[in-house]
Amino acid sequence: MNTSHWEMIIRLTDINKTYPGAVPLHVLKGINLEIEKGEFVSIMGASGSGKSTLLNIIGILDNYDTGEYILDGTLIKNLSENRAAELRNRMIGFVFQSFNLINYKNAVENVALPLYYQGVPRRRRNIMAMEQLERMGLSDRAHHLPSEMSGGQKQRVAIARALITNPSIILADEPTGALDSQTSKEVMNVFRSLNEQGMTIVLVTHDPGVGAQTNRIIRISDGNIVTPTPIIPNTAINV
Amino acid sequence: MLSHLIDIENWREIGATLSRNKTRTFLTAFGIFWGTAMLAMLMGGASGLRGMLMRNFDGFATNMGGCFANRTTKAYHGFNKGMQWRLDDRDVDFTRRACPVLDLSTKMTFEMGTIKYGTKSTARQVLGVEGDYFKVQLPVIDAGRVINASDDAQIKKVAVIGRNVAAELFGQEEAVGQYIAVNGVYFKVVGVVGQTSEASIGGKMDDSVILPSTTLRRAYNKGIEIDGFIYTAKPGHTPKEIEPIIRKAATTNHPLDPDDTNAIAFMDISENFKMVENLFTGISLLAFFVGIGTLLAGIIGIGNIMWIIVKERTQEIGIRRAIGAKPRNIIAQILSESMTLTAIAGLAGISFAVLVLTVAEKLTYDPALGSAHFQLSFAKAVWIMAVFLILGTAAGIIPAIKAMRIKPIEALNDK
Repeated sequence: MNTSHWEMIIRLTDINKTYPGAVPLHVLKGINLEIEKGEFVSIMGASGSGKSTLLNIIGILDNYDTGEYILDGTLIKNLSENRAAELRNRMIGFVFQSFNLINYKNAVENVALPLYYQGVPRRRRNIMAMEQLERMGLSDRAHHLPSEMSGGQKQRVAIARALITNPSIILADEPTGALDSQTSKEVMNVFRSLNEQGMTIVLVTHDPGVGAQTNRIIRISDGNIVTPTPIIPNTAINV
Repeated sequence: MLSHLIDIENWREIGATLSRNKTRTFLTAFGIFWGTAMLAMLMGGASGLRGMLMRNFDGFATNMGGCFANRTTKAYHGFNKGMQWRLDDRDVDFTRRACPVLDLSTKMTFEMGTIKYGTKSTARQVLGVEGDYFKVQLPVIDAGRVINASDDAQIKKVAVIGRNVAAELFGQEEAVGQYIAVNGVYFKVVGVVGQTSEASIGGKMDDSVILPSTTLRRAYNKGIEIDGFIYTAKPGHTPKEIEPIIRKAATTNHPLDPDDTNAIAFMDISENFKMVENLFTGISLLAFFVGIGTLLAGIIGIGNIMWIIVKERTQEIGIRRAIGAKPRNIIAQILSESMTLTAIAGLAGISFAVLVLTVAEKLTYDPALGSAHFQLSFAKAVWIMAVFLILGTAAGIIPAIKAMRIKPIEALNDK
């Protein structure tokens, strides 16, 4: 590990990504981005700006053509499918707009699933999943199926699932996109309190209200970062 | 993989996916169920049909042949055609010496006799045989023993009687050790026998009195002459191969025209059996192909449902991949689902077939002839199951590879 970057949890250097095709699409044009440990960052941009591609690269769901991406001291480049799955499992907690819970599994089973792929025994992973659900205030919904829960509850189950492997970062893709304003506020409060406990959170949104609740907004337009907004203290936010 | 097998969550998951599409799972399972059941029933049914026919010949050597003297049809050496002649010991001795493919053989002499015991009397056929007679046609021995080579060599005055003869003369009394008069000559009863099945040569054993060949001929002035010669060929040979040697012996020892093919009558039981065998080989083959056809239809059904399941679960597989499932986790999951479906439906199919075969077995059971064997051997059942499991799993491979190739982003963008 390079000690001079020890507190940089995400370090993107000159990342380029082109989707091949009849008309090749150059979606990321030399992205440079550093995110510190414990930051609460939002990535904002219009659709087609490349923000989803950026999120996919940060989330090790997609690869890039040139440049360098270091996540928590590990170089993420040319990984095998197995290695990528392993790193996603251990380092990244995903939260999606459409929750992406498995609909025939109850809350505990959904939350425990990432541990299943780590080979944690069933009894232990269920105990750990219950702890995470309690943390989200959902212990009474532990044995409910996703179809028996409200949107906010589903998203909190998804957050519990993201947290269970104790990841380096939480990646949230439009986490409030499918929620009403009241529930959005609740979910954002959950993210805020997690951030206060030291969790690094990267959130993709096109809702300025949501973006404003984060500590730093990274605007992306046409494959470039346009305004690397300086870090502003939490207390300055007044929504 | 082992942890995958014993983790109850996998089984729950398999159950959950299969039960989510109840109708489709049922129809696919029914396809496999019917495939295994058909294959198993056809195999067991072919065995039963064969058994029903073959049990008539139980205890009867199937590669048996025999020969008898006919009147001549050609004049030869000053003898007119239409001459009556008889086989004798010289012909048999020559054949036994000269024929390497001869296995079992017995001289046969037939006589009608009045059998007396005390005040009771009955008219029966009397057979003179050698020890091999009871190997060519296996008897059911009710008491005592059968005639052996030593009885014949020493011209013993012993008799083996059929069970009907014993019942008529002795009733409940012990027959073995008693003396019976056969046409006025006394013989010691050494055994009581019955016939194993319906087929017989030289009259039904149950109704006959059987004496050593030498003793019978000496007692009734037959000299060296016999009425017939019954033999079997060694394994891998046919009774047909023995015929030229007997013909050679007969034309050497008797004034027969070598070209007079009608002077000796040959029979070859093995040819009849071969026809029956061919018939059942055909039926078995047909059963096999029909069964394989149904089996393939079932297997393709599994492949089909697994393909649809994979398509439907693209998003779920994407989620699993995003949160850390490796490609092999996904393959294992899809394959274990198709294996489970095959295993359960296949076992049910075989069980159903066994049930049907049991009913057929009960219906065709004959107390005298025994079972027709409407049965599926355990080895065959295991074989069917293994083939189904292997093919069923193989049918899941293409969908599993498709599932493995699902990229998490593609699946997750599919909102």
